[in-house]
Amino acid sequence: MAPSIECKNVRVENEDFALGPVSLSFEPGTISALVGKNGTGKSTFFKLLMNLVSPTEGDITINGQSILGENEAWKQRISYQPQTLKGMDSFTGKELKKLISNYYPTWDEDLFTKMINQFGIPLSKPYGKLSQGVQKQLNLALTIPRDTEVLLLDEPTAHMDIPTKQILMNILVEWMERGDKIMLIASHEIEDIRKLADYLVLFQEGKIVGNYVKEELAAQYKQYWLEHPLSSQPLPGEIARNGDRVIISNHPEKTESFLLTEKQRWLNAEVLDLEEIITIVLNHERKGEPI
Amino acid sequence: MHLPIRLTKESREPIYHQIENQIKALISSGQLKTGSPLPSIRALSKDLETSVITIRRAYQDLEYQGFIKTTQGKGTFVAEIEDATKEKVKVDAVYKALEAAIETALRHDYTPIEVEQIFHTIIANYKNKEE
Repeated sequence: MAPSIECKNVRVENEDFALGPVSLSFEPGTISALVGKNGTGKSTFFKLLMNLVSPTEGDITINGQSILGENEAWKQRISYQPQTLKGMDSFTGKELKKLISNYYPTWDEDLFTKMINQFGIPLSKPYGKLSQGVQKQLNLALTIPRDTEVLLLDEPTAHMDIPTKQILMNILVEWMERGDKIMLIASHEIEDIRKLADYLVLFQEGKIVGNYVKEELAAQYKQYWLEHPLSSQPLPGEIARNGDRVIISNHPEKTESFLLTEKQRWLNAEVLDLEEIITIVLNHERKGEPI
Repeated sequence: MHLPIRLTKESREPIYHQIENQIKALISSGQLKTGSPLPSIRALSKDLETSVITIRRAYQDLEYQGFIKTTQGKGTFVAEIEDATKEKVKVDAVYKALEAAIETALRHDYTPIEVEQIFHTIIANYKNKEE
């Protein structure tokens, strides 16, 4: 059966943090990137999906089964790679693999061996003796081969060198091709987002700004270089201005039809880079301005 | 397998359509032969930095129009297509390119007669080169 994840009105609140309400669903065969500044709730969202943090309100289901109940069968269908792991320092890679592989009936030994070889990880060294980057690689090699239907990765490419990142990206792409998988990645690396994400879920201060198909979000923003200086009046769709001849619009059609009726010509119109768009969206929301 | 596809983000043509047309052109021109494999949806999505939603749509359209076929568990391959279809793709592509050029000229306030003159100048140059 194809997996699905559904969050209905999920809210979590404690003394120092509030997240939600979050209503999101994730479909099989897709990768969603969770994007937001530090401390906006991405890691908490993962912990909610793993039932490591209990929601104050709402429900989360995996394949229709609530993860909040007594039945914990869902735990074998989802794997989670947190940013950092504690309590592993004295174990070697070999020992950790033995512990973890026993728990997952879907464990793929061949994939594990392949990842260890491609990354070049020493399995007999204690975890605590490995560099940060290699620890990350080992974590991934202990997580991805679980081959569960759902995979949650919290900043998988942080501290990773460029060639290793490429190896990981290929592994993740191949992994997605194994079938109806769902992958969620929290990342600050624009390259991960460009190459891997189908959807972007934008987080801002414990709220979800939106869940967008990557290129649909990209198509919403355009920058215009105008022939003549503008009056100080904002144009329809305008969200930012650079000098008096460059504007950014998040409703290109509205802006263009206004410019046409005003007989104001533009010399160039350019789609913005994904990185610029994410910056604009996240900064605007912070100031509470509607976009 | 890597396809020489170039997406223009500035274009008004939707991305799935650009992908669809460029694959059609590769097939019609014989650069992709009958039976040759196409990249998986996920692999092409990574190469083109476009979601699988868009790639899937392009592949579905191509399959529906008979340019490619997907075999469960084996992948996607170039289908056998008739010469008439290949011909039509070529004609369409050339018409579209010329139309786009004319539109550019009209946007720069040239009259259709002036555009015609420009066209004759350019074509005369090409004819000279051939001789």
